[in-house]
Amino acid sequence: MPPTATWDAVVLARVRHLHLRARVLTAELMQGEHRSRRVGQAVEFADYQAYLPGMDLRGLDWRVWGRTDRYVVKRFETETELPATVVLDLSGDLGTGTAGTRDLPDLEGSKAGYALVLAATLLYFLHRHGEPVGLEIVAGQGATHPSLPPRGGRNHLQLLFLQLASVRPGGRADLLPALSRVGARSRRRSWVAVLSDGMEEPSNWLPALGAFARRGTDLRFFHLFDRREWKLDIGGPSLFFSPEGGTELAVDPQGAASAFFEVVREYVDEVRAGVVRFGGRYLPVPTDLPMERVIRSAVLDQPLQVELP
Amino acid sequence: MSFGLLAPLVLGLGALVALPVMAHLARQTPQDRVPFGAMLLLERVVKRLRRRRRVKDPLLLLLRALGVLAVVLGVSGPHLSYTGGVPEYGTSGRVVLLVDRSLSMSLQDSGATLLQRAREEAVGVVRGLPEGVSVGLVAYDDDALRLTAALTTDHSRVIAGIEALQPTSGASNLRGALIEARRLLAGEPGEVLLFSDEAGPKMVGEATAEISRLVQLGSAILPWTRTPAAPRNVAVASATYGDGEEGGQVTVRVVNFGPDATEVACEVTLPDGASIPIFVDLPPEGAAEERITIPSEALGGVGEVHCDDPDLQRDDTRYFHLPRVGASRVLVVDGDPGDTPIRSEVYFLERALAPWGGLRSGVTIDVTTPGGLTELDPDRHRIVFLANVADPRPFGPLLTDFVRRGGNLVVSGGDNVTAARYNAALSGILPAALRKPRGVAAPGEDGVPMTLPDVSPAMLRPFRRGGRAAFTKIRSHTLLTFEPYRDVEGEIETLLRYDNGMPALVQRRIGQGRVMVWTSTFDLGWGNLPLQSVFMPLVQRIVSYLGGEAGQSAARFEGTVGQSVVVPLPDRAIEPTVIGPDGAPARSRIDGARLLFTPDRAGAYELQLPSAPSMAFVAVNTDPEESDVRRYDSVAAVERALSPDLLTQRMDLSRLALALGLLLLVGQALWAIRRGT
Repeated sequence: MPPTATWDAVVLARVRHLHLRARVLTAELMQGEHRSRRVGQAVEFADYQAYLPGMDLRGLDWRVWGRTDRYVVKRFETETELPATVVLDLSGDLGTGTAGTRDLPDLEGSKAGYALVLAATLLYFLHRHGEPVGLEIVAGQGATHPSLPPRGGRNHLQLLFLQLASVRPGGRADLLPALSRVGARSRRRSWVAVLSDGMEEPSNWLPALGAFARRGTDLRFFHLFDRREWKLDIGGPSLFFSPEGGTELAVDPQGAASAFFEVVREYVDEVRAGVVRFGGRYLPVPTDLPMERVIRSAVLDQPLQVELP
Repeated sequence: MSFGLLAPLVLGLGALVALPVMAHLARQTPQDRVPFGAMLLLERVVKRLRRRRRVKDPLLLLLRALGVLAVVLGVSGPHLSYTGGVPEYGTSGRVVLLVDRSLSMSLQDSGATLLQRAREEAVGVVRGLPEGVSVGLVAYDDDALRLTAALTTDHSRVIAGIEALQPTSGASNLRGALIEARRLLAGEPGEVLLFSDEAGPKMVGEATAEISRLVQLGSAILPWTRTPAAPRNVAVASATYGDGEEGGQVTVRVVNFGPDATEVACEVTLPDGASIPIFVDLPPEGAAEERITIPSEALGGVGEVHCDDPDLQRDDTRYFHLPRVGASRVLVVDGDPGDTPIRSEVYFLERALAPWGGLRSGVTIDVTTPGGLTELDPDRHRIVFLANVADPRPFGPLLTDFVRRGGNLVVSGGDNVTAARYNAALSGILPAALRKPRGVAAPGEDGVPMTLPDVSPAMLRPFRRGGRAAFTKIRSHTLLTFEPYRDVEGEIETLLRYDNGMPALVQRRIGQGRVMVWTSTFDLGWGNLPLQSVFMPLVQRIVSYLGGEAGQSAARFEGTVGQSVVVPLPDRAIEPTVIGPDGAPARSRIDGARLLFTPDRAGAYELQLPSAPSMAFVAVNTDPEESDVRRYDSVAAVERALSPDLLTQRMDLSRLALALGLLLLVGQALWAIRRGT
């Protein structure tokens, strides 16, 4: 179901933007790639397994039976689809930033802009590989955030893009219940990408990743951050506030820089350890990092070398 | 020590200290509001910084406040007034240096004596004085000696005088030194620089009046006191000979003036060269006594006690008189050998004086006839017994001369004694002229008993411990009698009497010699003396007294280094020479019937006459109070009591406070910049 009853020209423009950006990036990613990620049934032999009653008789290897008088079943590398879900945190804090993508004019330079393009690209890329894709948006404004489980088909992808184009950063993420809910809904052995800045007390929300682990999902945690924010490279003494609300803090960035550096290191280590503990893969993603590198690393399991501030 | 301000009103500026406090409290809140996506991290940082600031912020505020206060204080002219040290000197143009060279200044302190240090400092002071400043120099011990007749601008001469100063064994006469200083200043104000240890219980106290006079004249006494923090000294305070439980003994008193208990090795050396080592345990700041028994035979003279002490050696030896002990050679002139032992004085005297052949009593007896008196040797024989000698006239001059030169003569009665012959021969030395013997009891009676004697005279003093009552058992029926006479103190003394009042034993002192008359016999001829228990002790006491303590040929005197010793002379015609411890004659003078000399060092001094035994011995020692190297009072304290501002020094703290203030302000600024507040 479309998220809006009436078509908004601005939203449609955003969809176009996202679509275009995703296509371009996906094309770059797929240059020189000759083998589909979706392997399908009987495409590539994996190993043998002793036949057990109830198994599909079509898998029996009669030649082996002829030579050895034993019933064995052939197994292949991929025998099912890989449902992929992108969980996107669009809480108010993601509306800040200085170095994000320039492709979304009203979210220029923000972590949210980078996150939206990254999410769209991932969805498109996976869709092009024939995987069913889904979208879960946590927090944000301008959309009702329906749960969009993984499905195939162009119409479904268009629906996801429309959802991404409609939503804007805002509100509080409240990651613990949100991630717990999404984790509980996710399909078994599915592929899940969580895009978030993780700006809540890690000890509060990290346990929610346990829900994904229990479902056997292949979890990727994209930890979004703005490099200048994490360097506290933001001018002189100012009154800092969170778009999500809360207390304002008067801080001189110069005087607090060294202590901030220590805090960032401790925080990253804490989040990384939590993600790894629940079987996920931690991907630190600064918003000035080329998106192709992020996707290659996340989807193709290529290493991602990122220098923290 | 006190603190003051030249401009206290300026302290009102201290209110400026409120500025940093206000600035601290009114730290400006930034106006720029910046949305920030990592507030979680910022909150953690702020929490962490807040913990640090809880410590750093008050310190920063303190630095700022102290900086402002220090600057304000510096402007208000702070100064510190304190006493101690040496204020400026030489400003009056008249300076007198008093250098203490007494015994205590020989105390060792870190490899040098106090006097050596005082000399160095005094020379440094004179060299530092501007040209034209008049300087005087006084060295003092018992006597204060002006080494410059008047104040002089010839500093090199004063320096030469200081460098020539040598330590003495005398006491500290600070009062005399101050008097000389006042004379040098001739009533004008000036500065008196005192180089002394100010040690001893009396030194400063005795000089208080003179200090007051100098202060009233407008002068200042600037003490350069050099005393070790914990001065140490061990000294022999006294050594005296006396009777002991087992004979004669020397009692030695050693004093420890140091703060720690110690053990010192001492050695008592007798006049004959015999030495007796002892060890003395001394408590901290206390004394100990040791008693050394003298051998049964010892020559008389001056002995010494020496204790090893590295800190102050000049008072480590104490000299004492020792009478001749034992070894008295007695010549018994037997006037009537007698037909039986009970009629022989010699028989009884030999047994009383040398019961073991003289081996242990120390008495050697030579027996001779009256004709043998020509063999009398004054150097060998100390005592001559005339036992019932009929006619002493041929030997009268010989015996008289013997007694006058320190010999001792004992005359006893007997049937042969004729008063007229004795009076003719010995009239000049007998206590009184003799009369013929007189029977005091009827034939067949026991005779008159002796009365209970007074044992206070030195001769009878040993009988205080016992045996006094035994005298009353002595009886005599015939006695020598005298022409009427009276006891004369120091010359004629009746030691024993009979119940009827007649004298039993009378002595007369003639110069250094003595004559004793026993009015009965030493045999059983006139009484029962030889059969009484008191016989042997009495005879032995007579010999030990005459041959030892009283019979010492020379007189004995005590003296103190630096103080005049007066020796009365028996005859105006004689002029003895004083021989010092080094064997060289010492300066002395005759004043009427007295000889006076002032010893400059401790030791045994002898008064000698040509071709005669020593006339007198003088044991000269250092003043025991000078050995007390502890400090009791200080000249500075006396001066402060008289004039509180006299020795006060002022230190200007303005620059220090300003520099400290600027340093604090710069330091806090750098710190604040570094931490970004």
